[in-house]
Amino acid sequence: MSASADKFSRLAALRPVRLAPPRPVALRAPDQEDSLAHLLGAGVAKNQFGEHLAIRNWFSTPEFSEPSAVALELLSRTRDTEITRRTRVALGDPAKWLFLDTETTGLAGGTGTYPFLVGIAWWDAGGLQIEQFFMRDFSEEHSLLHELAARVAERPVLVTFNGKSFDWPLLDNRFTMTHSISTPRLAAHLDLLHPARALWKLRLGSVRLVELERRVLDAPRLGWHREDDIASALIPQHYFDYLRGGPRDPIVGIVRHNQMDLRGLAALFGKINTLLASQEADREGVDSLDLFGLSRFFERRGDSDRAHVACSQALDFGLPAEFRPRARRELAMLAKRRGDHAAAAAIWLELAADSQDGVLACEQLAIYYERRAKEPARAAEFARLGLAKLQRMRAHSRDPFAAARSTRLAEKLLIRINRLEDKLKARSANRAAPNLSVLKSRAK
Amino acid sequence: MSQSLAMRAAAFGSLEPSAGSPLTRVREVLDVLADRDVYGDVLTAVRYFPAREAQWADFPAWVHGDLVAAYVAKGIRQLYTHQAIAAEAVQTGKNVVVVTPTASGKTLCYNLPILNSILENPDTRALYLFPAKALAQDQLAELYNLNQRLDNRFGVFTYDGDTPADARRAIREKGHVVLTNPDMLHTGILPHHTRWTRLFENLRYIVIDELHTYRGVFGSHLCNVLRRLRRIANFYGSDPQFICCSATIANPGELATRLLEKEVKVLDANGAPAGEKTFVFYNPPVVNRALGIRRSYINETSRVAQEFLKHDLQTMVFANSRLQTEILLTYLQQANPQPPGKQETIRGYRGGYLPNERREIERGLRDGRIRGVVSTSALELGIDVGSLDTVVMAGYPGSIAGTWQRAGRAGRRSGSSCAVMVASSSPLDQFIVRHPDYFFGNTPEHAFIQPDNLEILINHLKCAAFELPIAPGERFGEIDIPDICARLAEAGYLHLAGDHFHWTHEAYPADTIGLRSITSDNFIIIDVSGAPNVIGEVDFPSALIFLHEKAIYIHGGQQYHVEHLDFKERKAYVKQVDVDYYTDAVRYTQVRVLEATDTCSVSASAASANTHSRGEVLVRSQVVGFKKIKFFTNENIGDGKLELPENEMHTTSYWITLERSLLESLPYSVSERQSGMFGLLHALASVATLLLMCDGRDIGTAIGERPPAPDTGLSSVRAGQAPPLQDARSEATNDFSPSRLRDPSSSNVKEFFEPNLYLYDAYPGGIGFSEPLFHAHNLLIHQTRELIAACTCNEGCPSCVGPAGDLAPRSKEAALAILDRLRG
Repeated sequence: MSASADKFSRLAALRPVRLAPPRPVALRAPDQEDSLAHLLGAGVAKNQFGEHLAIRNWFSTPEFSEPSAVALELLSRTRDTEITRRTRVALGDPAKWLFLDTETTGLAGGTGTYPFLVGIAWWDAGGLQIEQFFMRDFSEEHSLLHELAARVAERPVLVTFNGKSFDWPLLDNRFTMTHSISTPRLAAHLDLLHPARALWKLRLGSVRLVELERRVLDAPRLGWHREDDIASALIPQHYFDYLRGGPRDPIVGIVRHNQMDLRGLAALFGKINTLLASQEADREGVDSLDLFGLSRFFERRGDSDRAHVACSQALDFGLPAEFRPRARRELAMLAKRRGDHAAAAAIWLELAADSQDGVLACEQLAIYYERRAKEPARAAEFARLGLAKLQRMRAHSRDPFAAARSTRLAEKLLIRINRLEDKLKARSANRAAPNLSVLKSRAK
Repeated sequence: MSQSLAMRAAAFGSLEPSAGSPLTRVREVLDVLADRDVYGDVLTAVRYFPAREAQWADFPAWVHGDLVAAYVAKGIRQLYTHQAIAAEAVQTGKNVVVVTPTASGKTLCYNLPILNSILENPDTRALYLFPAKALAQDQLAELYNLNQRLDNRFGVFTYDGDTPADARRAIREKGHVVLTNPDMLHTGILPHHTRWTRLFENLRYIVIDELHTYRGVFGSHLCNVLRRLRRIANFYGSDPQFICCSATIANPGELATRLLEKEVKVLDANGAPAGEKTFVFYNPPVVNRALGIRRSYINETSRVAQEFLKHDLQTMVFANSRLQTEILLTYLQQANPQPPGKQETIRGYRGGYLPNERREIERGLRDGRIRGVVSTSALELGIDVGSLDTVVMAGYPGSIAGTWQRAGRAGRRSGSSCAVMVASSSPLDQFIVRHPDYFFGNTPEHAFIQPDNLEILINHLKCAAFELPIAPGERFGEIDIPDICARLAEAGYLHLAGDHFHWTHEAYPADTIGLRSITSDNFIIIDVSGAPNVIGEVDFPSALIFLHEKAIYIHGGQQYHVEHLDFKERKAYVKQVDVDYYTDAVRYTQVRVLEATDTCSVSASAASANTHSRGEVLVRSQVVGFKKIKFFTNENIGDGKLELPENEMHTTSYWITLERSLLESLPYSVSERQSGMFGLLHALASVATLLLMCDGRDIGTAIGERPPAPDTGLSSVRAGQAPPLQDARSEATNDFSPSRLRDPSSSNVKEFFEPNLYLYDAYPGGIGFSEPLFHAHNLLIHQTRELIAACTCNEGCPSCVGPAGDLAPRSKEAALAILDRLRG
């Protein structure tokens, strides 16, 4: 961990101080009669495949957030070490980052779903430069894709929100179907959906970007609002209507919606970045549930130390009652994992006293007393207590899945009890006739 | 029936079996059956087929040495002649359809050239289509085996609904041979073709096994799926070659040409050896001659099978439903108790059994531990269970091809075997069992498809547009593409950009289109007796008949009372009940001729003046009520009224018009004539399903007044749904009371002036039955007459013109008289 953090700081040091200036691509002013382009403030981009509209805007917020080494390390951690290594190197240079979000003709996926508006953004001059490509009709798709491919080639590190399973595969389809523009190679793809889910699902229930903006990012402070935002569910229909000569105003709304999604995405990265890099002392005022979420994220990415700190802090900050047993359980497991069995047992003891949810605690205590403390009698006691609690719970439960789970757990406990009782019997037998085994072995 | 005795004698006279051989034991069993057949009307046919020698050919010289070695290691040192011919034809780039009976080694016909081609060029890709998942699994085992012997040089995978998501990526990249089914191709592969680039760019072969199963609606869909497949393949620059295999039907070449829309070479020689075989038709003895009631064919099947088992002959019993499978299994297990400390020797096999259990049964059959198995059609198609000594079929499987396939389960390549078909009392079964020459002669069964059915075609055109924008000048079936596309654009599905039509809808069209029926509009049946539980699904038209409120719905032998039919949500809520009646929907159907495409008049004399036609019709039907009918006695114990929406359908039909002069020349009362026409229609529908190789539900029947002139206005009609073919015996009325037919003596009988007898395609848009029926008019009339004339009942029974209780006296006679006049 610290070694790779070093690597990131070294890479950061190698980076040029000034960000590369955006390559100027001339846009033609739209024709007088192209009212949509005028409404959008768009220019006409032209290349060998044809034309499409391009809309460029620079925003001072969200501000550039210097990616911390810790955050990058955690975010790029996956099971595949080969990918991770390449990803890490690529991620080290924020000048290569490209935020991406698309608006599409449907959510079904497959070859008949078109991204008709592709928004990209990158850090520039301390703020965010946004460029959006819009196809006025299907015939403009190839020129749009050509332009996009060029941008991705310049900045091959993609940052998205659910783009790994939706936007990018969809674009990949489109590239394949052109037969002439190949899918640009990505150096890395950072998707913020899963981290966001781990961090805020507990508090928010839903981690839609809009929800995150409102309750996590404090959007009004960042200088934008979504009061007249267009409903995402209606976007495909608005586009279809527009294609058939319907109203243009909704398209303006969609373009703005996409802009805000991109700004939200960039801001979300900033937020995650800060949170992941924060030290215990920096977290005054952070919601206790977010801290618990943070500890779960650390834990999932295999950083038990940070998980432990965040989890204890969440409990200290006054986690809502319904989450406390879960957090304590987590804490106990973390203690067990780092080998602090006594600390874990202390927490389990408290939890076992709680009649609501003590079965797992009892099981863990049985394990602890059997393996660590070597007290089979106490171990058996806890196993029996666990079994009794389980049976009481089962009497109330109707959920067939829960029933199956508790049956399995009961079996495990029974096996343990039997084994412990055998041990205890053997031990008392040994005590009663200490010489017996010696005699036997001699006889042989 | 003395003829059959003579045949029996002839069959046995030519045999000189050695003592104790299976043939001797088969003969002993047949002797037992013959002894019981006191009147000589039970064993209606006993045919003997002598053994046939194998005809051998060498592996063609072009076959890769390693592949030859792999086959030799499997014990295949030489090919049968037909395998060599097929491989040679494929090698020269022809599209072929191989027509061979069961167990003749047809898979080698395609595996050999395809694997050879993969060994020569590892980029080669092939797609195998099987109508059912289980068949793909079986082929997979065979291909694995070969692959192991070739050091796993190629990738072979099944790709279906059960394929885990994480395996799919590897399959798309590495699968040289991908085994799938049409449904998966339709919903899972084509709409995501960009993920299958490797496959489509190199797609050289498409194998379509069990080609004969793609008939009617399913075949019409498949044809369109193949159109889409070729479009995608062409997009990636490939033009695959097709290799099809079919059971014996009358028109394999025509079917294949129609499906593939390419020239196809038919290869129907067979060089595989076969052991000698006896094929027996068994008609259960009559217990009530007047009513035409026979002994239960289920019990008789069990008796016959038990006789074989007693003689230590390994036996497979086929039933036509899951319920019958279970009943037969119970009977046979009772008769053959499990030996102490050993496994059960009689087992059941059907869908719903777990895969492991199935594999275990298949193994048990191969090594002989299992002596008897009772199965549904699940074991009919190429699943490897080895060969058994005898096959007993409970009921006619519905088609000659299917019957031979089941019979083919018995018969090792050397040795003897026997197949027995026990007939039920349905008209189809009775026709077959009494006309053995129809069965044993050249197969008259044709498979028809109508891929240009507008409804089917437009659905697939939508899918096609989703997959790739439609380019100018593209062809898709026989329709005017620009016109249809413009209409789809108006409806909001497509949009013309440049000169291409693009898909502009949020929906994923393939998801809403099922290949096995026309409408995807299904009702689900929810059992709310306990915790809600979905027990089944029925299509829209059937739902109106079987699932109206207060109906008794029978599923898996259990009766359910329909509590509520939620029309909007397409759900029926039912509760388990145990009552002694069933319900019978009363519906009326109106048929209106929109356009007569073909008409043929016969008027040799006034007394035989009639016309038969085909064309487009509008069928309107509505369920207006229902009756409660008591079991066994068939008493009507109550009525109910229903208000269900009217169902309108534009389809194609074949119809016979009886001229006034013909009707007036009949020496019967008005009600007898009317009743005779309904009986005739009943029998016509039975025979039509036989000729068309279709299900009884595929054809609707109605009688209506001939309109004054074609295509002018609505004719006022009353009609009946083809009765015993469907369990719902429905009658329809317009200005007649529903009870009229059951009470033919009532005086207010209004006679048809010049009735039309309609046999229409029970699918919107028609599925291509009316044209072949029109052309087979003479055959249809001839065989319908045979069916009725050969029936031993007095005044009609379910096996000919319908149950006597429903008809006026002398209806059977009247129906025969009409037929005689139609024959001219």
